[in-house]
Amino acid sequence: MTRSMDEFDYEAALSACAAGERAALHRIYQLEGARLLAVALRIVRRRDIAEDVVHDAFVRVWEKAASFDATRGSGRGWIYSIVRHGALNHIRDHARETPADESLIDQAGQDGAASVPDPYEQVLLASESGLLYDCLGRLDGPKRSSILLAYLEGCTHSEIAERLATPLGTVKAWIRRGLQSLKECMA
Amino acid sequence: MSDLQPKDDVAGLYVLGLLDAPQRAAVERNLEHDAGLRARVAYWEERLLPLTKMVEPEPLPPALWARIERSLWPAARTAGAGVSDVSLAGRLWDSLAFWRTLAATGFAAAMLLAVVGLPGAQKAAEPKFMVVLVAPEDKAPGWVVQASTTQSLKLIPLGVTEIPQAKALQFWTKGKDWKGPVSLGLVQPGRPLDVQLKELPPLEHNQLFEITLEPEYGSPIGKPTGPILYIGRAVKVM
Repeated sequence: MTRSMDEFDYEAALSACAAGERAALHRIYQLEGARLLAVALRIVRRRDIAEDVVHDAFVRVWEKAASFDATRGSGRGWIYSIVRHGALNHIRDHARETPADESLIDQAGQDGAASVPDPYEQVLLASESGLLYDCLGRLDGPKRSSILLAYLEGCTHSEIAERLATPLGTVKAWIRRGLQSLKECMA
Repeated sequence: MSDLQPKDDVAGLYVLGLLDAPQRAAVERNLEHDAGLRARVAYWEERLLPLTKMVEPEPLPPALWARIERSLWPAARTAGAGVSDVSLAGRLWDSLAFWRTLAATGFAAAMLLAVVGLPGAQKAAEPKFMVVLVAPEDKAPGWVVQASTTQSLKLIPLGVTEIPQAKALQFWTKGKDWKGPVSLGLVQPGRPLDVQLKELPPLEHNQLFEITLEPEYGSPIGKPTGPILYIGRAVKVM
């Protein structure tokens, strides 16, 4: 009778939002708000701004719920994309003031480029199962890290190059090939 | 700085957030009329979504939802005008202020009833829990729940609830850490109802009970959809 997050019908909730049912938006907020805030925070790195991003995203979800098209993707994916792009737009428009989490910055300088560090290796090992994770596991560490740094932390090509102490052109090639491999693996 | 190459997966780069401002703006413009691009962007949004599981949820500041509500529905808080029944129900479940008021009244009413005794209620078994279900607006009591064990309860009417045609009363409960309310079945106006809580956790202090107005055969989605007519929390009887 009760519904857990996994079985919650996001598409139905979005059509309820489109029909003006405020409780449906609140339900989405209750289920996903905490993770959406975390996703935004990881990118913008400031709590007040992350809250602004989530606020704006929920306003947008409500206002655009009628234009959500289930044939294009899942309701949950749509909601996350609004938050992520809101956060990304913010940091692209304003320089980030807080440096990245120190724990994720590796000792690239000491190790040298020969052993390119992989800040996400540990997280990934302990992480979820599923096709995406299997495919990520098959990527070389640097390609995987580049993709994760972009997706989760909103890093630009240059920031990734700096974090991984690698030339910009190499990072771009890693991303290009990484996306290509993921696509082939998930096909 | 980032010149796109023919081999670049523009949709993938867009979803990763790796396009520069003009490229990003171009993609967003094109999304409106380019169905192929929309599909490619949706592909990556969908495929990469599981990555968000790597981020531990952050506690939500209590004021954030209120702020969203104020932005979306500036008038709702003050006048309550135009608030749909469903959203009122949703808000009541979550409104701390409401529960604070109700806890005071509900508790007083429950204690009074426990002392005076109820007409028609069995005297033999001492009730362990009581709930007075009151109307959210005027706090008028409409039903009483008595439980002599933690696995069964009796819903007793204090009057006859008028309901519209093709509608039904549905009885719900929700414990402290449950994800949502669970149906205890449909209720006939003015008739008592015995409920066995076989598969539910034992009754606990403060457990929520409510009666909502639902379609004739009950809520189609297994959770309340209609307005709350009566609501209350379980009080442990001394």
